[in-house]
Amino acid sequence: MTEPVSISLTVNGATHDLVVAPRKTLADVLREDLGLTGTHVGCEHGVCGACTILIDGAPARACLTYAVQMEGHELTTIEAVAKSGELTPLQRALTQVHGLQCGFCTPGIVLTFEVWLRDNPDPDEAGVREALSGNICRCTGYQNIVKAVLAAAAEMRRGAGA
Amino acid sequence: MTAAPFTQIGRALPRKEDARFLTGAGRYLDDIAPKGTLTASFVRAPHAHARILAINAEAARALPGVVGVFTGKDLALWTTNLRLAPPIEGLHPVEMTTLPIDKVRFHGDPVAVVVARDRYLAEDAAELVDVTYEVLPAITSAAAALAEGAALVDDALPDNLVSHQSFSAGNPLARQTEAARVVETQFDLHRHTHAPMETRGCLADWDRGREHLIMHIGTQAPHPMRSALASRLGLSENQVTVISPDIGGAFGQKIALYREELTVAALARHLARPVHWREDRLENLTAASHARETRCVTRAAVRADGRILGLELKLTEDFGAYCFYPANYMARVIAMILTGPYKIADYAFDVKVVLTNKCGNGPMRAPMAITSWVMEGTIDAVAHALRLDPLDVRRVNALGPADLPYRMATGELLEDITPLETLEAVVAAVGVPEFRARQKAALAEGRLLGLGFCSVVESTTYGSGFYKAAGIPGSGHEAAWVRIEPSGAVNASVGLMGSGQGYESPLAQAVAEGLGVMAEDVNVHMGNTDVAPYGMGSRGGRGATAGGGTLFLCAQKARDKVLAIAAGMLQINDTEGLRLFEGRVELMRGGAWEPTGLTLADVAKCAYLDPTNLPEGVDPGLDASLTYDPPPMTYSNATHACEIEIDRATGALRFDRYLVAEDCGTVLNPIVVQGQQQGAVAMGLSGALYEEVIYDATGQNLTATLADYTIASAVEMPNIELIAMHTPNRRTPAGIKGMAEGGIMGAIGVIAGAVNDALVPLGVSAQAMPFTPPRLRALIRSAGSGAPDIPRKERP
Ligand code: FES
Ligand code: FES
Repeated sequence: MTEPVSISLTVNGATHDLVVAPRKTLADVLREDLGLTGTHVGCEHGVCGACTILIDGAPARACLTYAVQMEGHELTTIEAVAKSGELTPLQRALTQVHGLQCGFCTPGIVLTFEVWLRDNPDPDEAGVREALSGNICRCTGYQNIVKAVLAAAAEMRRGAGA
Repeated sequence: MTAAPFTQIGRALPRKEDARFLTGAGRYLDDIAPKGTLTASFVRAPHAHARILAINAEAARALPGVVGVFTGKDLALWTTNLRLAPPIEGLHPVEMTTLPIDKVRFHGDPVAVVVARDRYLAEDAAELVDVTYEVLPAITSAAAALAEGAALVDDALPDNLVSHQSFSAGNPLARQTEAARVVETQFDLHRHTHAPMETRGCLADWDRGREHLIMHIGTQAPHPMRSALASRLGLSENQVTVISPDIGGAFGQKIALYREELTVAALARHLARPVHWREDRLENLTAASHARETRCVTRAAVRADGRILGLELKLTEDFGAYCFYPANYMARVIAMILTGPYKIADYAFDVKVVLTNKCGNGPMRAPMAITSWVMEGTIDAVAHALRLDPLDVRRVNALGPADLPYRMATGELLEDITPLETLEAVVAAVGVPEFRARQKAALAEGRLLGLGFCSVVESTTYGSGFYKAAGIPGSGHEAAWVRIEPSGAVNASVGLMGSGQGYESPLAQAVAEGLGVMAEDVNVHMGNTDVAPYGMGSRGGRGATAGGGTLFLCAQKARDKVLAIAAGMLQINDTEGLRLFEGRVELMRGGAWEPTGLTLADVAKCAYLDPTNLPEGVDPGLDASLTYDPPPMTYSNATHACEIEIDRATGALRFDRYLVAEDCGTVLNPIVVQGQQQGAVAMGLSGALYEEVIYDATGQNLTATLADYTIASAVEMPNIELIAMHTPNRRTPAGIKGMAEGGIMGAIGVIAGAVNDALVPLGVSAQAMPFTPPRLRALIRSAGSGAPDIPRKERP
C-alpha cells in the first residue's frame, strides 16, 4: 500500500506521469504533486464538499478518491474554470452578490454548480438549496450563494437566447 | 440621523479578494510548502483524564522517514510555560507546560509529536507511539466539577472553580420584596466549536544563519502571536516574523498561540528544517478550541405591568481543561452587558467558571452569544407569567432616546444606540396582528406557529479603557501607516488580519476617504509583522472601528502633508481651501472646487525626488503612521424577529420569515456588512438548532466528524431580510461602530423566543439548546406528562 507506483493522470486537459503511493488521496496528489492548490481539503471524510472536483465532468469528492484510481479519467479542477482569464457567469455572479467570504468552500461550490447549471438551466430557489446542501459554508449563511446561482442561471439563459 | 456625506466610505464595492478565491488562486496555509519541509503529527490522549506513566516511541522512531518523536519533557527544554495570572479577584492563576508531562486532561490532549518526511508517514508513526496511562476519574459537567471531593482537573489548584466573581448595584433583593412577582428562568447553551472550514495549521521555518523564525500561520492577531512566540521560545521580538496567509475562516479560533503551534516552531528551530502541521478535522473538532456551554439563571423582580425592578444573574460556564485566556474572559462580558437595551438599575451577578475534562474554551464569534437570549428570554418569561404582551413588556423596560446616554448598572456607557427604533421597525415589518391571526387559524388545524423577537446590544470595539477596568492586561489600540510612493501609488497597513470577512476593500475605502483618492487605488497590506505596525489584531467587532478608524485618521494625516506640499507647489500660503479629491488637488474658488492641475503623483514626485523644492519645514517623503485607542467600548444594536413552524410529528422546524433591523453606525462597505449580518445569523441558528459537542459520561468526545458535529446546510437556513439603520457613533472616527457578532446573539435569542411562542398552547417550554428535531419532538410529546423539559445530555 505504501510502495509508490507509476500512474498517468489527465488534469485540466494535460497529462502528467507521476509516481505516487497507492494510498495517497486524489486531493493530496492534486495539491502536492501537481501544485493545484485550488482544491481545498476541509474534512477528509466526504462531508464538507470543499475538495469537489470533476471526474469525467461529474462532481466528486477528491478526498474520498485515490489518485491511482483515476487513470483513464478526465479530471477538472478550479484552476481550469476561468480558462481565458475571464470569469464565468457563475463566478461573476458570486462576486457581484457577495456569495463568498473566506473562499475556502468556494472552488467546490463553483465546480458543483458549473455542472449543475448546465443540467438545470432554469432552477428555483429550493432546487439550488438542495443542490448546495452537499457543500458546507461556515461564513456566508448560503443566502448570497443561492442568489448568485439564480442570477448566473438567468444570465446564462439570456446568453443562450442571444 | 444620516451619515456624513462620504464619497469612498459607504460604497458598495465588490471585494478585492474575490478574484483570487474564485479561481483557486487564494493562498492558504497548506498551499505553502518550501522544499524539504517536514510534517508534524500529534499523538493524542484517548482518555479524558489520565496520568502519563510512560511513553515508548521506539517503534515509531524506527519507521523509515521518521525524523524524531518528541514529548512534553523535550518541549520543556526549548520553551517556557504559559502562565496566566492577571490580577483579577477570584481568578486563580494557572500555568501549563507546552505539552503535558504528568497527565492528560481531555480526550485529544496532545502527549507527543512525530516529525516525518510526509503526513502519511507521520500519522503511521503516531499510531506506533505507545503511551501507558493510569486512568483518573473524568469530570464531564460543571456540577461534577463543583461536587464535594471532585477530582482536580488542574492539580495545582485548590478546586475546579477557576474563577468566581460577583457584583451588585442598587439592591436587587429589596426589589424582590417590593415586586408583584419574581420570575425565575433558566437557560442552557450547549458546547459549540468554531469549525472554520480551514482547520488550524502552521509552517515554521528557522533561518539558522540569521537566527530568525518565520512563522506562517493563519492568525487573527499577528503581532500578539509574534510576542507570544518570541517570549515562549526565549527569542527577541526582532527574531520572529509572523506571516498570515489567506485564512479559511477563524471565528475566534485563531487568536491564541496554541500548544501544537508552539511545538512546531520549537521543532523547526531544534531540527533547523521547515516543519509543517495541519490538523485534521477530527483534531479540529476535538482538540482545537470549544466555546459556550454556559448555564444562566435569572431572577427578575417585576411590577404588575412587567417593569423589571431588579434582576439577578447566576452564570456557570464549563470552561474545559485548559485556559488559553483568563477564565473569566468571556463570561464577564455576558454579565457586564446583560441588561442591554433595558433600564435596570438594580442588578447583581454571580459568575462561576469551572474546569472540566473537555477541550478548553475560547472566544467564539460572539463570546457573549448567550446574552440576548437570557435577557429577552427573561422578558418573555415575565410576559408569560403576568399574561402580558411580550412586546409591551419590552416597551415598558426599553431605553428610549431620552434615556441616552445611559450608564448601565455595571458602569458601561451606552450612547448613540437605537433599541426602541429597531424594535418598532421589525414589529411594523412583521405585522404582528396578522401573524397572531394566522397563528390562531393554524392552531385550530393542530399546527404550531411561533413568533419571536430579540433585541441585541452588541459590544463591538473594546478600547484599552475596557481592558483596564476588567483587570486584563492588554490594549485595545490599533496602529496603521499610509504611504504614498514616488509614483503616487498608495500603500497602507494595519495590525488587523482578516479571516474571510473581506477587509481589503472596506479598509481601502477608509484610507481613500481620509486621503482623498479612489479606494480602487489603495492597497492595504495585512498579516506580515515585518510590514504591518504592531496592532492588536482582529477580534470582537473591532475591525471597522479600530482598524478602519485608525487607517482613516492616518490617511488624513498623510493628506495634510500632501496638501502642505501642494500649497507650496501652487505658491499659496496655506492649505485652507485646498483638497485632495479622487487623487487630484482642487482649490475652492467662488464656492466651487476647481482643478489645480496638480495630482497626487505630482506631489509625491516632489516629496521624494525633488525635496529641495519642498516648502520650508516639510520633510522629504510621504509616509504617515499613527496609533489610535478607541473609546472603552462601542455598541451596535439590532432587533431580530422570526416566524417559524414546528412540525408536531417530527419536531422539525421551518422558517417562514427572518428579519433583522440593525443599526451599526457608519458602514465602510455595505456589501461586506450585509455578508457579516447574514453569516452571523446563520452561524447562530446553526448552533442553536443543530450543532453540539457531545461528551459521554467517561469524557469521550462523540462528535469528532462533520457528520456528527452537524453544521446547517443551505436547506435548513432561511433568507434574512435586513432593515439597515445608521446612527453614527459620536466618539469614533467617521462614526463607525463595528458589527459582525450581534447576529449570533440575536439568532440564538430569537429562535428560542419563537420556539417557546409556538409551544405555549402545549404548556411546555424549551430551556436547553440545541433545539434539534428529536428534542423538540420529545418536548412536544412530554406536553401534559408534567415533564417540563428533556434532559439535555441525552443524545438525540
Ligand atoms: S474534504 Fe472532501 S468532502 Fe471535505
Ligand atoms: S466562504 Fe468561508 S466557508 Fe464558505
